[in-house]
Amino acid sequence: MDGERRKILRFIGKGSVLAAFLAQIGAAGRAFFPNVLYEPPSRFKLKRPDDYPDGYTLDEAHRLYVIRQKEAFHVISAICTHLGCNVQWRDTEFDCPCHGSRFRPDGTVISGPAPRPLDWFATTVSPDGFLEVDSGKDVARDFRLVIGGKGQA
Amino acid sequence: MGDKIKALWRKTSWAWSPESERESSEAIVKNFWLHWFPAKVARASMDWNYSFWLGTASASLLLILTITGVMLMFFYVPSTERAYGSIKDLQYAVSFGRLLRNQHRWAAEGMVAVVYIHMARVFFTGAYRGPRAVNWVVGVVLFLATLFLSFTGYLLPWDQLAFWAITVGTSIAKQAPFVGPTIQFILLGGHEIGQQTLLRFYVLHVFFLPVLAWVLFAYHMWRVRKDGGLAAVERVRNERVMAPKATPKTKSYSLFGLTPGTSVQVMSSTGLEESDQVFSSPNMSRRIALVFLVVFNITLLAAILFNAPLEGLANPSVTPNPAKAPWYFVWLQELVASTTVRFGGYTVSGALLGGILLPGFLLAVLTLWPWLDRSPLRAGGRWLAPERKRQNLTFAIATLAIIVLIMVGVYLRGPYWRIYWPGQPRPETPRLY
Repeated sequence: MDGERRKILRFIGKGSVLAAFLAQIGAAGRAFFPNVLYEPPSRFKLKRPDDYPDGYTLDEAHRLYVIRQKEAFHVISAICTHLGCNVQWRDTEFDCPCHGSRFRPDGTVISGPAPRPLDWFATTVSPDGFLEVDSGKDVARDFRLVIGGKGQA
Repeated sequence: MGDKIKALWRKTSWAWSPESERESSEAIVKNFWLHWFPAKVARASMDWNYSFWLGTASASLLLILTITGVMLMFFYVPSTERAYGSIKDLQYAVSFGRLLRNQHRWAAEGMVAVVYIHMARVFFTGAYRGPRAVNWVVGVVLFLATLFLSFTGYLLPWDQLAFWAITVGTSIAKQAPFVGPTIQFILLGGHEIGQQTLLRFYVLHVFFLPVLAWVLFAYHMWRVRKDGGLAAVERVRNERVMAPKATPKTKSYSLFGLTPGTSVQVMSSTGLEESDQVFSSPNMSRRIALVFLVVFNITLLAAILFNAPLEGLANPSVTPNPAKAPWYFVWLQELVASTTVRFGGYTVSGALLGGILLPGFLLAVLTLWPWLDRSPLRAGGRWLAPERKRQNLTFAIATLAIIVLIMVGVYLRGPYWRIYWPGQPRPETPRLY
């Protein structure tokens, strides 16, 4: 009876030390998952619609293409869906310099390793008249932002 | 005075140039640097043409890399704003800084090659069978550590190569089933490449991976002794038609004979006849010193003749065209570029197939090979034993395939990763980086 109690106490003693040790390892591991990120927001402003000429314009800072067809605008991501390099617009298609993926003007895949089409980002005009892109929000391939008058919403 | 200096020199160096058999034996017991060697080693394992001393060369490179690496740490600042500048300082402002960085870079690339060739040597001599299987696995992990050290190393200058290698590398990690996005998040320290990313790879490069490499190296050496020396010993034993002797009890580790198994012997553990053995000091100690000096001088010569590459400052807006990985990863770049498969409406990305599944499969086969291998045990310790023809061919073909992929990637790929045959004109691409 006495031996039994000793065994239980020993189990609790060793067990709690071990549990504390494992918990500390877990806590140290948790520290590697940042709680605060100093990253730019996924929703950001570009230039005014009228600042873009007709055709494909690269926005280097945001790694995307603004495409203007008269008064209709849409925005396609320049980030390759394969492994994240910047695709380049070459008059008739997008080409990737890292692994050779090729995309049609609407971002769908012609050939190469890219598993899916380039992303289309939701685009609006901000109240103060700038194009505003939400890179966290994909839209369908027929999305167009049509702007009446002189480029003001 | 002169006599005193001479006596002091003799006192510190006698273990390396023993003048009697007794001194040879005592050298091992009394010298800190030599105490981890057996007093005697098999003559066969000293043969230059058996092992080519590639393991010693690998260890020499690890030592050179550790020393030059620690020295580089005095000048390098792991900050996205200052890293590139500190490399430029090493190149142009620090006396011999360029030489130091060059030697670190060429020793690193050399180590990838030498460790692989060492592994090939062990394979082609069938030296991973029986108890040596464990050391083979340790060796595979050491090879991986070498690759990860190289990868984390060329990220640190924060040039274009670094930025796009992190982009591609962590995007491949993201493709891992289930845990991929978490791995990418923890490697980057966020969703985008930034200061946290550089700091994480820096600490991996200067602390965790080197410590792993050194600890595994120590274990690798310890296992070589526990397993009875190089596999060449087995060959000699077979030639002499000797049954392996029970290893003698020794004074140092099993005084009362309490420990079962093979102890780390002060005397020979090879169980060979006297005539097949030589004293470690000076036969092995001097060869090791010679190999180290040769390896050191080759890396130094390379550092004097060739500059380590440094691309433009990291620029997330512009991907170099083409963006090529260093030669030892180009075959993986070829794999991820060409293994996307589509059936029906379903697509498996090359990033998963060529970046994770295929390399993972190769690694699994490589690791488990000693247990998949059914060649006769006595074929071990000999180069290209006819009994191991199938095994050796398999390894040779796999190696050749990797070399072909590297050649294609390095020499034939041009802008937009298209194939350009030699002589075929390559289009001019703007070099904005």
